Amino acid sequence: MEPKLGIRNVKSMIFKGVIIFFAFLITVPLIIVLLYIIKQGITQVNWSFLTHVPAPTGEKGGGIANALLGSFIMVMMASVVAVPVGILAGIYLSENPGTKLAYYSGLCVDILQGVPSIVVGIVVYFWVVKPLGGFSAIAGSIALAIMMLPIIIRSTEQTLKLLPDSLKEAALSLGVPYHRVIIKVIIPCGFAGILSGITLSIARIIGETAPLLFTALGNNFLTMKITGPMDSLPHVIFSYATSPYDDWHDLAWGASFILLMFVLTLNIVTKLLTRKWKIQL
Amino acid sequence: MTPLENEITALKKELISMWILVQSQLNKAKEAMIQFDKDLAREVLIKEKRVNSFELKIDRDCENIFALHCPVAIDLRFLLAALKINTNLERTGDIAASIALYVVESPVNFDADILEKTSLIRMYDEAVNILMDTRTAFEKEDTVLARSIFKRDDVLDAINDSAPISIAEAIKADIKTLPEALYVLSIIRKLERVGDQSKNIAEEIIFYVEAKILKHFESGKKGKSEA
Amino acid sequence: MENTIVKAENYNSYFGDNHVVKDVNISIHKNEVIAVMGPSGCGKTTFLRGINRMHELIPGATSKGKILLDGENVYDMNAIYVRAKIGMVFQRPNPFPNLSIYENVVAGYLLNGIKLSKADKDAIVEKSLTSAALWKEVKDSLHKKGTFLSGGQQQRLCIARAIAMQPELILFDEPTSALDPISTSSVEALFHELKANYTLIIVTHNMQQAARVSDRTAFFYMGELVEFDDTKQMFTAPRDQRTQNYITGRFS
Repeated sequence: MEPKLGIRNVKSMIFKGVIIFFAFLITVPLIIVLLYIIKQGITQVNWSFLTHVPAPTGEKGGGIANALLGSFIMVMMASVVAVPVGILAGIYLSENPGTKLAYYSGLCVDILQGVPSIVVGIVVYFWVVKPLGGFSAIAGSIALAIMMLPIIIRSTEQTLKLLPDSLKEAALSLGVPYHRVIIKVIIPCGFAGILSGITLSIARIIGETAPLLFTALGNNFLTMKITGPMDSLPHVIFSYATSPYDDWHDLAWGASFILLMFVLTLNIVTKLLTRKWKIQL
Repeated sequence: MTPLENEITALKKELISMWILVQSQLNKAKEAMIQFDKDLAREVLIKEKRVNSFELKIDRDCENIFALHCPVAIDLRFLLAALKINTNLERTGDIAASIALYVVESPVNFDADILEKTSLIRMYDEAVNILMDTRTAFEKEDTVLARSIFKRDDVLDAINDSAPISIAEAIKADIKTLPEALYVLSIIRKLERVGDQSKNIAEEIIFYVEAKILKHFESGKKGKSEA
Repeated sequence: MENTIVKAENYNSYFGDNHVVKDVNISIHKNEVIAVMGPSGCGKTTFLRGINRMHELIPGATSKGKILLDGENVYDMNAIYVRAKIGMVFQRPNPFPNLSIYENVVAGYLLNGIKLSKADKDAIVEKSLTSAALWKEVKDSLHKKGTFLSGGQQQRLCIARAIAMQPELILFDEPTSALDPISTSSVEALFHELKANYTLIIVTHNMQQAARVSDRTAFFYMGELVEFDDTKQMFTAPRDQRTQNYITGRFS
């Protein structure tokens, strides 16, 4: 028996080594991308970069203030629509898992999650941009909201499903009516999980370019007019990177860096929130 | 105190009450015998019913505690001992009643002389003391006192052994004393059994306090211990 | 009888077509501790949950017959009102994790939006925690979350929460199954104290517990109420052969 054990130990160690190697390998692309963007972009970022609009062609300087404001406004508007709808839908799915409605709407949510973002953009173009007669931030927000919905719905549903039934039972047995049980017990207890779903969905859409191409387009000026075209971070990166001017290439690197920092921060916040939530329960 | 502790304390109190009653029965029967007081003797006979109802109640209480609490260790040993002590006390009560019955049935007074020659009074006093000491040993969980009972029972056994001879002599001396002599002999036999019952009680006390079993051994001086 | 607090008349429970509780008739008096015991799946928990109308919250669950609380049929009353009137303590301690100990005790009021003055709330919290034998242990940490409490303490917190609603009747669904022996005996000691002011119905699968704590015991088997008698009688000389088989462990 002894020699066979020896070989099996060796095989086990080799296998372990292979797994660890590949796990390590995965982190390499992420680290390379991060480091490269940081290197290229960090020099661009200064106060003027963040507060000025792009300079006219040929001039040095300028910044991405319009894109920052635009992204902010559109993400806000998208959230205002997607968050309540998403949470309520998630509550329905978690409370009534057996019904036909739950099954089919769940199916739709999953399919929606897989729809390519450019397709969403085209659809919104036909639904909103054409009837309204032009590109607008409203259209952009609608496209972004459609993309946020599946993430919020599914994470709300999963969070609430993980809450023990005993919590609901305890509240019901105290003579608390159903709607209050949801609002005052279930949602507060699952709050961190729901919030993490929201931050995750924001992290997802903040970098989406394709849907905005057909809906909000871009705007070199700082504007708050939501019925007109508005710029956004990913759009700025796209247009500056593909432009012939070196100055604008630099701006693109700076914008990429800013965008990356946002997404990284949001993901880390999400991770921290989920950890805190696990401890709470 | 847990409910089980409460029940066991209540049971101890019941047993003590029964003990006190049986002691008083034995003492009254002795007084009735010495004073040849038939009325006092009839009191003893009437009170015997109370002794019996004590026995029934204590048996039922033990059964309930077993059923409801599933006691273990010292509680279990205590209940097993309590059941047996209950029986011993009831039998002692029976003995006191039958002595009282002799007093009621006997047509003649018991001659003081015979009582003296056969050491009946001395024997009775010792029997009463032994019973009282078993109660003290039970209340205080005093196994040293319990062990001392065994030797003192030997005194009762000795008097019992020499009884036939002293009775025979008394009858030879005066044939007219035959009826009461026979009663006296019966009372001596009964008192010896009181000693035995008390010895059993002492064994049970030692069992429940120390988990040592001392039954079925000579003189109780040596004990086979099973901890 | 004047003294009856709960009375079931021909009460039946179903899960869909499954007849789980069959024709139960039982009368429970005030300030009694009743144990309900029986093997798994015998309907004892379903029956208990029928009393405070928690049973019907399960999809497909229905019932027939009457359950009278102080003479009124609970199935004719508003279900939410019934649940507020009857306290319930569950198998796994379930204090609300997002509320402090203080808030947990008055949760029944807080969650229903019932406004109380601070003095009233303080009084209720102190009285309920004292009745649940928990006041001394937590009075200095009332505003912390209850997560640091041990299992037995959490369960006593749940008992305090039920008591705070001032019910007459408290239902316990296997309240010590998830607790260690020491916590179990602290909760059992509590039953003896609560008896003075409340009526308790305790479902338990531990028959020694039923023997230790209750005045009368109900034995359920396969949905039927087989025997309901003084606990002393049931454990020394049960009248039904099935009860005897269960108690002596002769069930297969």
